[in-house]
Amino acid sequence: MMAHRVVGKPIGRVDGFEKVTGEARYSGDVTLPDLVWGKVLRSSLPHARIVRIDTSRAKSLPGVLAVLTAADLPKLLVGRRMFDMPMLARDRVRFIGEKVAAVAAIDPDVAEEAAALIDVDYEDLPAVYDPVAAIAPDAPVLHENPGAYDGAPAERPHPNVQSVLRFKLGDVEAGFREADRTFEHVFRTQLAHQGYLEPHAGVVAIDDEGRVQVWASNKMPFRLKELLSHALQLPPERIRVNLTPIGGDFGGKGSLMDLPLAYHLARVTGRPVKMIMRYTEELMAGNPRHPAVITIRTGVTRDGRIVARQVKALFNSGAYAAFKPAPSVNLGGTGMGAGVYRIPHLLIEGLCVYTNNIPCGHARSPGEPQMVFAGESHMDMIARELGLDPAELRRRNLLRDGDHLANGHHLEHVRAEETLEAALKASQWHEPKPGPWIGRGAAMTHRHIGVGFTNARVRLETDGTVTLSIALPDTGTGAHLVLRQVVAEVLGLAIDLIEIEVATTDDFETDSGVGGSRVTHTGGRAAYHAAEKLKEQIQNEAAKLGVPASALAVIAEAAARQGRTLEASHFFDAKAHAAVTSFTAQVAEVAVDPQTGQVTVRRFTTAHDVGTIINPIGHQGQIEGGLIQGLGYALMEEMKTEDGRISTLSLGDVKLPTVQDVPPLTTVLLEGPVGPGPFNAKAIGEGSISAVAPAIANAVADACGVRILDLPITAEKVFFALKQKPPAATKARS
Amino acid sequence: VTRVVRLTVNGAAHELEVPTYRTLLDCLRYDLGLTGSKEGCGVGVCGACTVLLDGKMISSCIALAVFADGREVTTVEGLADDERLHPVQQAFMDAGGFQCGICTPGQVVAAKALLDANPTPSEPEIKEWMLGNLCRCTGYYKIVESVRAAAQRSQP
Repeated sequence: MMAHRVVGKPIGRVDGFEKVTGEARYSGDVTLPDLVWGKVLRSSLPHARIVRIDTSRAKSLPGVLAVLTAADLPKLLVGRRMFDMPMLARDRVRFIGEKVAAVAAIDPDVAEEAAALIDVDYEDLPAVYDPVAAIAPDAPVLHENPGAYDGAPAERPHPNVQSVLRFKLGDVEAGFREADRTFEHVFRTQLAHQGYLEPHAGVVAIDDEGRVQVWASNKMPFRLKELLSHALQLPPERIRVNLTPIGGDFGGKGSLMDLPLAYHLARVTGRPVKMIMRYTEELMAGNPRHPAVITIRTGVTRDGRIVARQVKALFNSGAYAAFKPAPSVNLGGTGMGAGVYRIPHLLIEGLCVYTNNIPCGHARSPGEPQMVFAGESHMDMIARELGLDPAELRRRNLLRDGDHLANGHHLEHVRAEETLEAALKASQWHEPKPGPWIGRGAAMTHRHIGVGFTNARVRLETDGTVTLSIALPDTGTGAHLVLRQVVAEVLGLAIDLIEIEVATTDDFETDSGVGGSRVTHTGGRAAYHAAEKLKEQIQNEAAKLGVPASALAVIAEAAARQGRTLEASHFFDAKAHAAVTSFTAQVAEVAVDPQTGQVTVRRFTTAHDVGTIINPIGHQGQIEGGLIQGLGYALMEEMKTEDGRISTLSLGDVKLPTVQDVPPLTTVLLEGPVGPGPFNAKAIGEGSISAVAPAIANAVADACGVRILDLPITAEKVFFALKQKPPAATKARS
Repeated sequence: VTRVVRLTVNGAAHELEVPTYRTLLDCLRYDLGLTGSKEGCGVGVCGACTVLLDGKMISSCIALAVFADGREVTTVEGLADDERLHPVQQAFMDAGGFQCGICTPGQVVAAKALLDANPTPSEPEIKEWMLGNLCRCTGYYKIVESVRAAAQRSQP
C-alpha cells in the first residue's frame, strides 16, 4: 500500500477546541436580538376528533406574543418523502404528542405556561397500536386516503399500510421444495430513541430583506432548504440554512420538526423565534427507531446449506410516514433479512404500518438492527437444531466473490469469511468457556459504503494556509478532520495548515448532507479532487514564478497582487454503490446470573473488513460508539408504550448505557486496499451497531439455554424463561 | 416573583434579577450568555449541564438560580487558563474523548472535579465518578482514556 504522510495518522489535537471549551455554538445556543421562544401544546389522546380549541386564556397571559392553531396555517402537509403530516393537527389527532397549537412568548417558561392554558375538547376515536392488528380487515383506519398524499407509494394492500418494500431472488416456493428442513421463528424488537443528547432545536428569523434565516439541528441543509421551501411555500432562494454543529444525529436529525412552526411564529410576531424540544417531547414526538415484528422462515439442506428464505417484517411506523426519507418510504435495512448469506431463493417483504403511536423515522443503519437481530438469532437456532457449530453454519453459507445482495447488487472483494475467522480467533471461540453460566455468541452483518453528492472548495490563502469550504454540518463523526487530512495529504501539507470553513446553503448549489455512511466517501472524494486541482494550479504558478511549489505564501501573494485567488472546486456525485461492502463479525461472551436473570457482557470482540483508515482515532470512535448503542439496544433501552402512551418519558427511564455498562473490547481491523472513498477508504459509522444484539442473544442461549426472541434482553425476561426451562421448542418441520 | 441574585461565575461577579423559577442552567445560558453548559435530559440524569458550585459538581438544570446566590460557579468556559487549555480539555482532544461535543462540557467539568478530589484515580474510580455523565457518541472508552491521560498529565 502507498505510504501516506497525514492519512492514517491518529491525529486528535487539532480538532475539537471549540467543543472542549464550550465555545461551539449549536443551534440551541444561537441568539439574536429580540429573540422570542416558541413552544407547542401536544395531544393527550392517541386518536380523537378535535371539537374545539380555546386559546383565549393563553393569549391573555402577559408575555405571550402569538398563539397559532391549524386554522391560522395554510392547509398543507409536510414530510421528507411522503407528505402526510400536518404542521399542527387539523380536526383530528392521531398520536399522543401530536402538535395541536403553538405559542410564542418572551421566554420559554411563559411560552410553556401559555401552552398549558390552551383548552382543547376532543372526541375519542377508536385507535390501534399493534402493527399486526392494524392490518386486520376491520382495523380502525388512520388516514382515509393515504394513496392521495404526495410521495405515497402506489402499492397498498390495506389502508393502514404506508409502504411495501420487497426483495426477491429466484423462486422462493421452489426453493423451499428443495429443503430438507424448514425453520420458522418470530422476533420482536422495541421502540428505541436514537439517544442523541441534544434535543431538536432551531432558530428561524426573517431578515430585513425578507429572507428566512434558519439555524437547525439538521444534518441535510440543502434537503432542509427544499423541504422548507415546500412547507413554507417560499422560493428556495428566499431561505438560507446556516450550519451549526449537531449534538448527535444517529439518523434522527433529518426531519423538519418544529421549523415550519418557528417560521410561522416569526412571521406573525415579527421576531426571531427559537424552539427547543424538551427531552420529554423528544421521547413522545421525536422520530425514533421503528419497532418490528419479523417472521423468518428458512429452508436448509441436511448439510446446512440455505436454499430458501422468506421474511416478513411489520414495522410499527406510528401515525405518519413523514419522517422516512427514502423514496420507498420504507427502511432499506429490510434487505438485511438475507444477512451475509448466499440465498438462491429469497423473498423479503417489509411493510411500514400506520398505528396510533409516535411516528418513527431513521436511526443509525435504518432497519438493520431489527433485521439482523432476527436473522442472526434465527441462524443460531437453526445451527442448534442441525447440531452444527453456529460459526460453521455461517461459514457454509457466507457470501463469496461474485455473489449478490438481496437487492441484486453484485459484490467483489468479499471478505466475509476472513472477517468471521478473525473474530472467532480473537474471541477464543474454540477455547473452553471459563465456567458455568457463561456463553459465547457470534453474529455478522455488513454495511454499504454510502453514496450521494458533495461540493468542496479549496482556497490557497496569502499566509500559505489552505481553507477547505464545505456545507456538510459536523454531526460529531470526525468527518471534518478526515476531510482536512485528505486535503493535507493531496497537497503534501501539515494538517495544521488546513483550515475548515463551514459554508451555508447560499455558498453551494447542493449537497446530499450527512448520513447513510457516505461522508468519508462523497465528501472525501470531493475534497480530494478539489485539492488535486488546486495542486495543479499551485504547480503551474510556481513554474511561472520560478519558485518551488512549496512556497505557498509567495505563490498566493503573487496571485493576489494580480487580483486573483487560487481556488478550486469539485462536485462529486456517486450515484451507484461500488461492488464492495464492509463486513462485521462480532462475538459476545456473557455471564447469566441464574438467581436474577441478569446478563453481564464479560467481553466483546468486533472484527471489521475496512478500507484505508484515514483517522484511526475517529474510526475507532465510530466502532465503539455504534457498538455501545447496539449494546443498549440489546440489553436495556426501550421506550415502553401502553395504548399509545409512552411511559418512559425521561432519559433515566429509557436507560441509555452508562460508562459502567461498557465491556472490555477487542477490535480487529482487516484493512484492505479496495474502497470507493479517497485513498481507498470505506465507511465505518454504521458497521458496529447491528450485530451486537444477536451476538448477545446467542451468547445468552449458549450460557443458559434460554432463547429470548424479543428485545431488549432484560433480566426479567431471562429470569422467567429460566423458570420455564426447558426452553420453548423450535418450530421445526422436517 | 423575582429576586436579585449575586453570584460569581468563572471568577466574574454578577448581580441580576431573575424569576425564582429560573434554573441555574437557563440563567447561565440565557441571562449570562454562557452557552457552554447544555440542556440534555432536563431532569438531572444526563450530566450535560454539569457545573461546579463552590467546587462541587451539580446538575444546573435542576438547580435554581437563586440557589447559587452568594456562591461561586465554575462552568466549562472557566476551565482554560487564558488560551492554555486545562489538562482535561487537552486530553479529551488528544484521545478523542468527544465526538458531537454536546456532552463534552459536562464531561470535562466532571473530570476536572474528579482530578481535584482524586489526582490519581483508578479505572473503577473514574467509572464511578463519571457515571452521571451520559455520552451517546463515544461508547465511553475514549472518555475513560482521556480522564486517565489527564490524570497523568496533571502529575508534576
